[in-house]
Amino acid sequence: MKKYCLLLFICCISLLQLTAQNTDSAWVRDNYYKIERMITMRDGIKLFTAFYIPKDSSEKHPILFNRTPYTCSPYGEDKFNPRLYASYWINYLKEGYIIAIQDVRGKWMSEGDYVDIRPFNPNKKGKDIDEASDTYDAIDWMINNIPGNNKRVGVFGISYPGFYSTMAALSNHPALKAVSPQAPVTDWFIGDDFHHNGALMVMDAFNFYSGFGIPRPKPTMTGKPGYEIHSDDNYDFFLKTGALKNFSKIMGDSIAFWNDLMNHPNYDAWWQSRNPRNFVTNIKPAMLVVGGLFDAEDCFGAWNLYKAIEEKSKNTDNRLVMGPWFHGGWGGRSNGDYMGNVRFGSRTSEYYQKHIEIPFFNFYLKLRGTVHDIAEANIFFSGANEWKTFDQWPPKNVEYKNLFIKWDGKLSLDNPNVFKPEDRAKRPESFSEYISDPAHPVPYTQDVHLDRTREYMTDDQRFASRRTDVLTFSTDILTDDVTLGGPLVADLMVSLSTTDADFVVKLIDVFPDDFKYDEKEFGTGNGKDYPMGGYQMLVRGEIMRGKFRNSFEKPEPFVPGKITQVKYTLPDVAHTFKKGHKLMIQIQSSWFPIADRNPQTFTDIYHCSDSDFQKSTIRVYHDVNNQTKFILPIIK
Amino acid sequence: MRKIFLSIYCLFTITAMVTAQANFVKENFTKTETTITMRDGIKLYTVIYIPKDESQAYPFLMERTPYSAGPYGADNFPRSLGPNENLMKEKYIFVYQDVRGRYMSEGTNLEVTPYIANKKSKTDVDESSDTYDTVDWLIKNIKNNNGLVGLAGISYPGFYATACLPGAHPAIKAVSPQAPVTDEFVGDDANHNGAFFLLDNFSFMNFFDMERNGPVKDYAKPVFNAGSKDAYQFYLKMGTIKNTNGAKYYNNKSVIWNEYLQHDTYDAYWRARNIRPHLKNISIPTLVVGGWFDAEDLFGALHTYEAIEKQSPKNNNRLVMGPWTHGAWASNDWNKFATHEFGSNTSKFFQDSLETTFFNFYLKDKGNFTASEATVFETGSNQWKSYDVWPPKNETPVAYYFNDGNKLSLQKTTTQNSFDEYISDPAKPVPYTNGIYGRRNNEYMAEDQRFAALRPDVILFETEELTEDLTLTGRISADLFVSITGTDADFIVKLIDVLPDNEPNSKNAPRGFNMAGMQRLVRAEVMRGKFRNSYPAGPGGEKPEAFVPGKITEVKFDLNDVAHTFKKGHKIMVQVQSSWFPLVDRNPQRFMRIPDAEEKDFQKATIRIYHDAVNASKIVLPVLK
Repeated sequence: MKKYCLLLFICCISLLQLTAQNTDSAWVRDNYYKIERMITMRDGIKLFTAFYIPKDSSEKHPILFNRTPYTCSPYGEDKFNPRLYASYWINYLKEGYIIAIQDVRGKWMSEGDYVDIRPFNPNKKGKDIDEASDTYDAIDWMINNIPGNNKRVGVFGISYPGFYSTMAALSNHPALKAVSPQAPVTDWFIGDDFHHNGALMVMDAFNFYSGFGIPRPKPTMTGKPGYEIHSDDNYDFFLKTGALKNFSKIMGDSIAFWNDLMNHPNYDAWWQSRNPRNFVTNIKPAMLVVGGLFDAEDCFGAWNLYKAIEEKSKNTDNRLVMGPWFHGGWGGRSNGDYMGNVRFGSRTSEYYQKHIEIPFFNFYLKLRGTVHDIAEANIFFSGANEWKTFDQWPPKNVEYKNLFIKWDGKLSLDNPNVFKPEDRAKRPESFSEYISDPAHPVPYTQDVHLDRTREYMTDDQRFASRRTDVLTFSTDILTDDVTLGGPLVADLMVSLSTTDADFVVKLIDVFPDDFKYDEKEFGTGNGKDYPMGGYQMLVRGEIMRGKFRNSFEKPEPFVPGKITQVKYTLPDVAHTFKKGHKLMIQIQSSWFPIADRNPQTFTDIYHCSDSDFQKSTIRVYHDVNNQTKFILPIIK
Repeated sequence: MRKIFLSIYCLFTITAMVTAQANFVKENFTKTETTITMRDGIKLYTVIYIPKDESQAYPFLMERTPYSAGPYGADNFPRSLGPNENLMKEKYIFVYQDVRGRYMSEGTNLEVTPYIANKKSKTDVDESSDTYDTVDWLIKNIKNNNGLVGLAGISYPGFYATACLPGAHPAIKAVSPQAPVTDEFVGDDANHNGAFFLLDNFSFMNFFDMERNGPVKDYAKPVFNAGSKDAYQFYLKMGTIKNTNGAKYYNNKSVIWNEYLQHDTYDAYWRARNIRPHLKNISIPTLVVGGWFDAEDLFGALHTYEAIEKQSPKNNNRLVMGPWTHGAWASNDWNKFATHEFGSNTSKFFQDSLETTFFNFYLKDKGNFTASEATVFETGSNQWKSYDVWPPKNETPVAYYFNDGNKLSLQKTTTQNSFDEYISDPAKPVPYTNGIYGRRNNEYMAEDQRFAALRPDVILFETEELTEDLTLTGRISADLFVSITGTDADFIVKLIDVLPDNEPNSKNAPRGFNMAGMQRLVRAEVMRGKFRNSYPAGPGGEKPEAFVPGKITEVKFDLNDVAHTFKKGHKIMVQVQSSWFPLVDRNPQRFMRIPDAEEKDFQKATIRIYHDAVNASKIVLPVLK
């Protein structure tokens, strides 16, 4: 989760880079100085802000501004943030940018009260504040007080700072010229971090909030660690702990946002006010929305913030970048040439930094160069392993085609109901079924471990194919490449023996049996000699909490035994299934412990008891009347 | 399996070479290649290495093998000779013989050659008579021998060592069957309790039962070319056992494969291949050796020892069981395996203190052989133990009952009609190992079973944390009360040592793997349900019996012996499942001849394991008091 940001970041520094970094570190200290200031907001609250300013005064410098709840440390004007020299940020420093990092209201050294994903207030009056007004006030202060600035400001940030970037854009301060929300936390009920389609992502939520959510009554330079799980086995810990109310017991009463999570089980007004997509109108600065195709946290946010701006703020100069990255992989945490066992054949992070992000800020903040080469949508297609550019997303040339599941475990683009009449008569009702047992939920990844992996997003799904509670459907071997670009819709016809259930749909690329990476082209990846022949690469997986199938606001129980449609959209896909591969879809009813277990009883899951959890027999239909299908965005 | 044995053996030999002086064999031994004529006129190819030093007479130490007596050719010397380096340096006349019908020997090879108790003519030959004739020729024709012969061999050669015992030549004075193939229907290699070991045998027979027209130094080619880096996928896709004889695979070209498929019960074919009944009135000192982690012939070692012990009670019969995989006692260094650390070099201990002294004493009258009846390495506590009888006298069977709430308890439950159930789906069999492997994962016998525990088709029962150490020594027995919706099913019972949540990693734990909370497999066995009433090896073996769907039925079977200490703070766990794939072929869950099963015969079954006052499923553990 995001709290690991810095730690992981530091860990990722390779030995080779270290020498270069030492040089860069010395260069930064020779050419920059640091000041720390408390900036007063309109309501009198002061926010702690660190500035790294070039000593060079031969020209005016633009400001790159990052607002964070994860601390702008190291504190002290003699201490420099390693990110300045140990990441691609060094490029901005060499260009002479002023770097500003601010602790957001209520966190670390800033005053005030912290509110998670503080709702945007479109009708602020007087001293009303929100994150947009804080950004406005901060920008206003810095362009008037930081020596040598050119009064052009850019804001960027990854993850939670991505949310603050979106909020910055809503400030519409005239000096704010360019904003890049990256993996922006966008909708915590529908698709980012803590819920996906109403299912609680319990492992991330618990691990994150047990530390992040600890109240901080006064400004401080130190954070508090989260709950230490005394186990090496997250599956075991989360299973043994059981119902969510037992997690609440561990959390205690003091963690406000955990209580909020527990008390807002549905997509109510409280949640809707925390969905920035509702507010992205009339955005003035240029926008560059960035995300990772394999981001376990905020993949949804990147795709859907871009789309919301397109829809609601049509005149905004809005661009999208999606690469084959884990959470923040593009921002200096990885070269982006592999993800788990899957390799991409080029250093996609460097490509992004050099050809997209840096030219973007240079153009809008330094009025230098051009953004002509940065397309509306710059999307890396895994499988094909190439960048493609589009003038809209999803692309114009997408054809939405139905993919049907069949009784024999096959997937077919032809309607399988075109049976010979006698066959149809034989199968008036055709389904595949499994028992979903909350005592044995389907693991999200294969091996015993404690910290949620980021690699699960491309993991081999063979371990799941081999379970009795996972349905697997696959095409024949593809005779041509099939490229998907856009949202994937699952249109399930199901029945359950109980009143609620989850559905997890996984889109999988099955590699040929003799598949091997050529090291000349693909490098050594993660260095593991994993058997790639027959690999079942997760391309996209998403969960749907069944009771929300008709409305996230008003959940509805299932009628046991009654065939019911569960239709939902998975985050967009950008992947080519190569000729010789197969396209596979898996359906299961748990994904543990990333998602909490559905008791499979229609109830308030946040307060139910261990005894409410029951087995459910799940049927997925594939017959004339009830045909489960998927809608594929096929690029012609 | 035996092929894997070969490669492992090669590996051991290679490591052994490094320490042995490179040209020791050539410098110290004269090589002779000859054929020895058997009583029926068939000539067996025999390679003899005679010490150059003629100052003393030497005993023979012989290995009879189906895997080649080579290297062939007067100028080609192996890098080492004999079962271990001490014995090579000690100097024996080392003899290697291609068994009948293999490599350079004439005749026809039979699968685990049946013993003929009452030989009536010179054409009644078996491995006993072939060994007899060979020994007779050797002592009469090789100069400078002391008239004493020993035999040793691992795996299939272990069988050939055992097979010389009934009707043995009087010159044979010491025999060490090591991981001897012993009963391939009940417990070794091909089948365990009638369940077919698909993974090992499919790949083994491809390289073993290749075409041969008369003696050859090298077999031309395997029966077929096929394989995969993902055995689970490969065998699942292949489907039925019948399909193994498809055009891409055996295609009826392997005689033995066809025999396996033909003989799917404990019929006369398999009974003839069980050497155990013939190990009576043996008076040749024997040193039976086996490994607790031997995936192939653990059963053979334990039961060869037992058969000699019971039927030849006066014999000098000894058992050595160490923490070894198949043949690992022949390696130079064995102080760890999987996540186990043994704290000492167990293979060197065996070679120095048991194997060398055994042959030296009985064949050279040198030194003393003072080994106890049973020398057994105890896993868990990691120490060698000696007993004057195996299983030890103070071993008591203790029943651990399955209980509600996944509990394993000394108390029988009082509840009525209580059970756990799961669906066993032949389309989604339980993997025997976690991860993707092309060949058998050699570590599966000590593997973490958490991957299985979280499946819905595996049920488990576990004790509370033990308040004191608990040592098991001997055979385990599983006694299940089950009902099934089909008419046949397999039952796999796994005994597991659950390590504490604060267990530190051993030095050899794989990177990224945490041993805390590990469910380490101690012992597991499969029972093909239809043979439940003919077990073990009872007269009903040829007549498997269908289950009556829904009827509660007892399925009782043994798991191989262990010597293991569950340490204080650990938990004992039992897992039950109905597939173990692709180690074991899938049971169609329909009562039938499985080699004839079609894809459509395979059906899901709901399996119930009862644990109530009347039908109290349990595992009986051999507790050392």
